[in-house]
Amino acid sequence: MHAPEAVVVACDLITPYGLGIDACWNGLLSGKTAINPLDRFDTDVFQTKKAATIAELKTGQSDSLVMQMLKPLLKKASAIIPKDALLILATTTGEIDILEKQVLNAKDNADESALGCLLSKVQCLSGIRSPGIIVSAACTSSSSAIAQASAMIRSKERDCVLVVACDIVSEFVFAGFSSLMALDKDTARPFDKNRSGLSLGEAAGFVLVMSKERAIQEERSIIGEIAGWGLTNDANHMTGPSRDGSGLALAMRKALRSADISEDTVGCIAAHGTGTVYNDAMEMKAFKSVFASGTLPTYSIKGGIGHTMGAAGLVETIVALRSLREKLVPPTVNLRIADDEAEGWVSTEPDSFDNPVTVSINAGFGGVNSALVLKKLDEQQL
Amino acid sequence: MIISGIGWISKGKYGCVKKAVCTDYTDIKSLHSKLQNESIFLYPVKNFGRFDMTSKMSCCAGALALHDAGVKYSEKHKQDIGIISTNTDGCLKSNLNYFRDYVQTGRKLARGNLFIYTLPSSPLAEASIHFGFQGPLLYIMFPQKHIPSLLQYAEGIISRKEASTILAMKVDEKKAVCFVLRREEDTSSK
Repeated sequence: MHAPEAVVVACDLITPYGLGIDACWNGLLSGKTAINPLDRFDTDVFQTKKAATIAELKTGQSDSLVMQMLKPLLKKASAIIPKDALLILATTTGEIDILEKQVLNAKDNADESALGCLLSKVQCLSGIRSPGIIVSAACTSSSSAIAQASAMIRSKERDCVLVVACDIVSEFVFAGFSSLMALDKDTARPFDKNRSGLSLGEAAGFVLVMSKERAIQEERSIIGEIAGWGLTNDANHMTGPSRDGSGLALAMRKALRSADISEDTVGCIAAHGTGTVYNDAMEMKAFKSVFASGTLPTYSIKGGIGHTMGAAGLVETIVALRSLREKLVPPTVNLRIADDEAEGWVSTEPDSFDNPVTVSINAGFGGVNSALVLKKLDEQQL
Repeated sequence: MIISGIGWISKGKYGCVKKAVCTDYTDIKSLHSKLQNESIFLYPVKNFGRFDMTSKMSCCAGALALHDAGVKYSEKHKQDIGIISTNTDGCLKSNLNYFRDYVQTGRKLARGNLFIYTLPSSPLAEASIHFGFQGPLLYIMFPQKHIPSLLQYAEGIISRKEASTILAMKVDEKKAVCFVLRREEDTSSK
């Protein structure tokens, strides 16, 4: 008997382009960045004054910024979320604005910024019966969570998992990234010859992953398949990626093996593409090592919405599923002149692609790497 | 799946279960020195003094568990071993340390070395760098029954063949317990 396939049956998100997948997709296709001057806190002393934030989020409200993102998404979706699903929440800092307030104004209890409190709130919003778990693995948090959800479905431990992801632009993280000299002083330019750092962004979203069998039984529409996954660690450095890209290449090979497909079946790469010199160079080495026979259409969305940290993998999965549906590779926003190593891989224009398989990858602090193989299912497979 | 080694650290004592070791220590510095002198750390831990307390405890507990299990490791010859951890509050104390320091110094310059520990997965990353482990790395928070849930989660990773060996730990600033879990068929040859 063959292992159950893990399919995405529902998803939604909020990004600096606005609420919903259409807003994000159209924003990326427009080629215009959502990275703008930041007015949430004073940025005078930092490397940059820009980030990609969601205009509707307001500080000083009773709800944290994360909850302001999640409430509209999950309230709308709660009717379609099965109560018996496993909840996996993926984040790096969660409601860190609560901790900021406590330290700055001694108003709130910092314990309320603990991740466990956020998990309870998300459980409440989703209507799921059991409390769920949190998965955190730096900037691979949500792609790792999707990988774990899919693995649980394939092994029949679960037949339905809701993965929720969120992270915000806060003074807390902004000051930290600035101290590491990781920020571009203007806007991130992934894979550009003159790239000089990342731009921070914020986002939240969810994907509902189900066994294909249950999805068919419940007559759910199938958006795409999580066909394979690979999680690795460089075991090399806390803040810098392994220069040779071997850890990421290993994650991609594991993912392809898990999906039982060869490299030449892949149609497109959804890159991590932060815009830092070292990350993008490392990724290109990994891509060339795994896909040695030639170039593949590759894009990064971080020039559009910034680096959304723990939410990045989930947002990129949703965008990749849309890209598979449209058979269209979105442009790499802010790209002007491709780096020599990325020449022929990335583009400033949307492009079509044939093979309906995308490898979506992420990497993060501590050397963590993730790769997901995403597939569009054609009518015959449904 | 079997548990092939367990290392633990409590207030003033540390030990290994299989080897039935229980030894006193006074503070984290003395714990580090003892593990180094007893060759439980097979080589020095780079930058140990700069780690946050949870990272120090993670490295020490990991070394004790690997010693108990008889697993050799090397930073040069990396292994496909996974590492997962849990606790009750993520990295709340490190978050407070970092942000209070930033505010107290006038909100002008954050300290990168404190910032890097504001991720719940950072202690695991320090441990994986030291031990040379290239498998999955995940911090997981369970709402209750932390240790049974952790072991069950590790068992899932092993049974799904995402890694053949897992270091699974529950760690905070004051105490730690770390398990080495392996697929049963892998133990006969080791």
